Amino acid sequence: METLVYIALFAPFASSLFAALFGMSPKQTFVGIVASLLLFASFCASAMLAFHVWTTGAGIHVTMMDWISAGDLHIPFGFVVDQVSVTMMTVVTLVSTVVHVYSIGYMDHDKSFNRFFSYLSAFVFSMMILVMSDNFAGLFIGWEGVGVCSWLLIGFWYHKEDVSREENPSISPSWAANEAFIMNRIADLGMLIGLFILYWNVGSLQYDVVFAALPDLSGSVLNAAAIALFIGAMGKSAQFPLHTWLTDAMEGPTPVSALIHAATMVTAGVFLVIRANPLFSMTPEVSYFIAALGTFVAFFAASMALVNRDLKRIIAFSTLSQLGYMFAAAGLGAYWIALFHLAAHAFFKALLFLGAGNVMHAMHDELDIFKMGGLKKAMKWTYIYMGVASLALAGIPPFAGFFSKDAIIETAFNEGTLFLWVILVVTAGMTAFYSFRQVFLTFEGDERYKAFGIHPHEMYKYVLIAMSPLAILAVIAGFAQGTFEHFVTKLLPDYHMSEHTHHLSMMLGLIVLAFAVGGIVLAYRKYYKGLKRDKKLENSFTYKLLANQYYIPNLYEAIITKPYAMLSEMMWKDVDMKIVDATVDGIAKFLYKSGDASRKMQTGNLSNYLNWMAVGSVFLLVIAVISAMFV
Amino acid sequence: MIGLTHYLVISALIFSIGLMGVLRRRNLLMLFFATEVMLNAVNIAFAAISHYYNDLTGQMFAFFIIAIAASEVAVGLGILIVLYKKHGSLDLDDLANMKG
Amino acid sequence: MENILSILVFFPAIAGLLGFVVDKESARAYGITVAAIEFLLSVWLWFSFDTANAGMQFVELIPIIPDFGISYYLGVDGISLFIILMATLMTLIGMMSMSITENIKNMIITLLFLEMTMVGVFVSLDAIIFYLFWELSLVPMLYIIGAWGGPLRVYAAVKFFLYTFTGSLIMLVGMLFVAYVYHNLTGVWSFAITDWYALVLPVNYQLWLFAAFFVGFAIKVPMFPFHTWLPYAHGQAPTIGSVILAAVLLKMGTYGFVRFSLPMFPDASVMAIMPIAALSIVMIIYTAMVAYAQKDMKQVIAYSSVSHMGIIMLGIFAMNAEGISGSVFQMLSHGIVSGALFMLVGVIYDRRHTKLMSEFGGLASVMPKYAVIFGIMLMASVGLPLTIGFVGEFLVLLGFYHVSPVLTALAGTSIIIGAIYMLTLFKKSFFGPVTNEANKTLKDLSSKETWSLVPLVLIVVWLGVYPKPVLAPIDNSVKAMLAFMDAKAITQEAKDMIKVSKTTLNRGEVK
Repeated sequence: METLVYIALFAPFASSLFAALFGMSPKQTFVGIVASLLLFASFCASAMLAFHVWTTGAGIHVTMMDWISAGDLHIPFGFVVDQVSVTMMTVVTLVSTVVHVYSIGYMDHDKSFNRFFSYLSAFVFSMMILVMSDNFAGLFIGWEGVGVCSWLLIGFWYHKEDVSREENPSISPSWAANEAFIMNRIADLGMLIGLFILYWNVGSLQYDVVFAALPDLSGSVLNAAAIALFIGAMGKSAQFPLHTWLTDAMEGPTPVSALIHAATMVTAGVFLVIRANPLFSMTPEVSYFIAALGTFVAFFAASMALVNRDLKRIIAFSTLSQLGYMFAAAGLGAYWIALFHLAAHAFFKALLFLGAGNVMHAMHDELDIFKMGGLKKAMKWTYIYMGVASLALAGIPPFAGFFSKDAIIETAFNEGTLFLWVILVVTAGMTAFYSFRQVFLTFEGDERYKAFGIHPHEMYKYVLIAMSPLAILAVIAGFAQGTFEHFVTKLLPDYHMSEHTHHLSMMLGLIVLAFAVGGIVLAYRKYYKGLKRDKKLENSFTYKLLANQYYIPNLYEAIITKPYAMLSEMMWKDVDMKIVDATVDGIAKFLYKSGDASRKMQTGNLSNYLNWMAVGSVFLLVIAVISAMFV
Repeated sequence: MIGLTHYLVISALIFSIGLMGVLRRRNLLMLFFATEVMLNAVNIAFAAISHYYNDLTGQMFAFFIIAIAASEVAVGLGILIVLYKKHGSLDLDDLANMKG
Repeated sequence: MENILSILVFFPAIAGLLGFVVDKESARAYGITVAAIEFLLSVWLWFSFDTANAGMQFVELIPIIPDFGISYYLGVDGISLFIILMATLMTLIGMMSMSITENIKNMIITLLFLEMTMVGVFVSLDAIIFYLFWELSLVPMLYIIGAWGGPLRVYAAVKFFLYTFTGSLIMLVGMLFVAYVYHNLTGVWSFAITDWYALVLPVNYQLWLFAAFFVGFAIKVPMFPFHTWLPYAHGQAPTIGSVILAAVLLKMGTYGFVRFSLPMFPDASVMAIMPIAALSIVMIIYTAMVAYAQKDMKQVIAYSSVSHMGIIMLGIFAMNAEGISGSVFQMLSHGIVSGALFMLVGVIYDRRHTKLMSEFGGLASVMPKYAVIFGIMLMASVGLPLTIGFVGEFLVLLGFYHVSPVLTALAGTSIIIGAIYMLTLFKKSFFGPVTNEANKTLKDLSSKETWSLVPLVLIVVWLGVYPKPVLAPIDNSVKAMLAFMDAKAITQEAKDMIKVSKTTLNRGEVK
């Protein structure tokens, strides 16, 4: 079994190194194929491990070697395969395998084809470390590793120029990459502090040791640790106020958006909360905050998606919104439901993004849905895929999203947090609306793309086939709910609805469904026939507010980026040069000047010298007398 | 009765005269004389104190000083003659080639 | 080889003297050979080093002026061993990558002489010998900056020399006073550091002496607000000068704190924690901001160097094994990473004769290999896990958290602002379209440059993934030092603050 663990972990690494060997040479298709095969091997190993954990009910724990030990701190490279990590491993490797195969087709014409696979596999490797590590420091390796890979991949087309924010809200790929990295770093500091708190109170960073020691810790320590760790989770999962990087990250190639910024990396924050559930279940206030923030983000992100015109940004906002749902579930203590939604979301959201990639491919990288329409003729399969994914996202039975999202909303009701429940229900309606607004504007109605001289074509057949596992899972994954619950609750705390909720569950489900269907109907009525621009609406304040992401990126620029640059400039030119350095030079100048001034004593006239000598002797005598008197 | 104090006062007076000479005079030869006066002032003090303590070391030192002063005069006057031959004057204000 | 340390110290100097008769054309090859032999000797030293022994090893003791207790006294422990290795490695790599052709022979001889002084500082166990090497190291660096530097080279060189010299004179006074106190207490003169360790000084003496040593070391580190000589020195120095300066010479200051200040004045050190932490944090944040404002690539790295030295200072005053071991490790990491970054800037300077970021843009398309290595070093510099930069930074922050959570959070902002200026530098120079005509035809790394940079990349990754071979001996010696400090401390606060590790340690014989 240990071998399988290492295969699952290191196959992506091998893939990355292999692709890196060809990193600077022109496109070679076999690089993509080998990478995909290695990823598939990793998937197979993960699946076998999942089966093993399923049958035996016991996890596997391996320790590879020591990493850091200093003082009383010992951090090994240790990996644990249990119900939670194996779920994540399977999801991650499955989606990555699909995305790798997809990328062979999608990145077909890119001259940096090989480099792309190297980065992509490196990302999977980091993600595997993140989910498999048996200690917080190992998690942090993966945490930062995925951050760097995300930086590399967002900035993959680094040669593009910076443009104004009006022209492209994310300015340029390299700008977006840096933004993502730096924002994540802000959160990572919080996470590091969390690790320090745990280390100095527990004496170890191993999950099992830490969790075993939690009951002995004081409430304030627990709260501090939970808050600090959650700040880390907020950055990686792009929760408010660190959310702006995620939509800007759409500058990366679409497979990257599918894998990293939808299915896997952004869910790392949720994973952390689930993984550290013993800690978070002991800090109800922090957990409630998590749930409230999650709910807020769900609504907040969905509102921005309502009016956006950019195909990928709409999906990115929906990712944000769904992450909010996951945090709401985790914060309310329904960890297994959060994990279930995480897995289901990974499937349909990756599918949605890959579908969007097909559209982009067909539309020559055009992303404005107002310039599309009527693509269903040219792209039947893509339409079906995106339709399925959108149905799942909107939470229509029997698709996967229905089961998982409904469970979350029901949890909110069950916990008595009716306010959260109302917002989540409304958000479900908004989700349905914007998903189908996008689908209809892209695939139905008048063929607006013709005005731009574009001849869309369907994606390669093997790419479409490669996408099929995701489509199937997006349809059927929901039915595995019971099995899944049974499987992961061996490790995670089980969560049951109360008797009362149970009675109402049918009605609650219907309310959610009503909102979802309502959203779809609204989208159908407005956009199915074609695009009718409503100038008055588009010029309204609310519309502009939403379209500009509540002006938050502008706000950040005005109150953080620009003042920081100005302050830095001031620190350098005014403080460093004019105060600190000038003081040092001032001392030196004083010495020079005093030397210059006293040089005049050197007249060359012996008689003057003798006078000075006499003065000096008298001076010394006086000093001698005075010191003799006092000492 | 002439005591130690009188000798010391005389010595200090002569020393001051020498010191004033050193400070005020511009002619090198005069400076020379002034230093000699100072040295001899010290000699008087030495001799007097030596007598006072009944210790001959002081008088011995006085002799040393006389010997050194003599040799100093020998060397110094030689230098003065050379200087005079070179510059045609012994006025200190004319001799300022060490000006910084 | 019982005299391995003497050989290590004097081999480069003797080889440097012989260098005068070497032919001008073969001077470079000669220098590289000598540096390589020296490096191999230091590797040999590492292999024959007993890692389980926390005390001084390979000790050599020859009295020079027995009446005053001055002796030729050398030895290494886990703390100094790796700094020596790094010094010899960086000299070798620096020479390999050197692009200077003018007066090459003088440069080689100067570098070899500099190598002697660097190794000498880290192996000396006698204060006078230490001081001798400490001051001697200024001379070759003065020459390197003054002779091969940029337009402002004389100003920069003189500033560097006078500034650090002033500091070390004050340190010398401190040393003499310690010896005087030692004489008063024991009746014999001794300048041996290990003898001084045994001296238990009253707290007010400790404070004054700490201050005297502090001035000497802090200017060398350089700590805020004594740092302004560094940007000039880096800005004007040739690449090789910057590499050695950043990699090794700055470490002398922090090494001094670990070797002298902590074990000799434990109570004063504990009292100084807060002031020094405050200075370090100002240094970390403030210089990082200044780095962000720079227009010149090399200045960015110079200021980033100061910022990272702040992290090292913070770790030293964490007063626990995690922090101090991390700090010593960070010295190595900073030496290798900033050395490599200066070499990388040198690469582009050789091609374009400018270091202004505005002159570049899109270099990643023109020079992919260069961009990859720069990227790796950048990530190491911002402390990415599995690179060398993370281990030290993590341990330092972890260690200092025990002292003050709030200050750690402030110091931790270095991981954010560090990323800001480094990524901005990378974006401005490497990303975007190639706009400047002059950049379109730039050649990627030559084999000479590649071969000098690749070993550093390998070390960065190796020590990031498996730091144990280096960290374990360091940690061992640090633990022994802390246990010793704890036993020696007089005040209760110091005893409370100094945290002795729970793990048992193997205490070697000190002399």
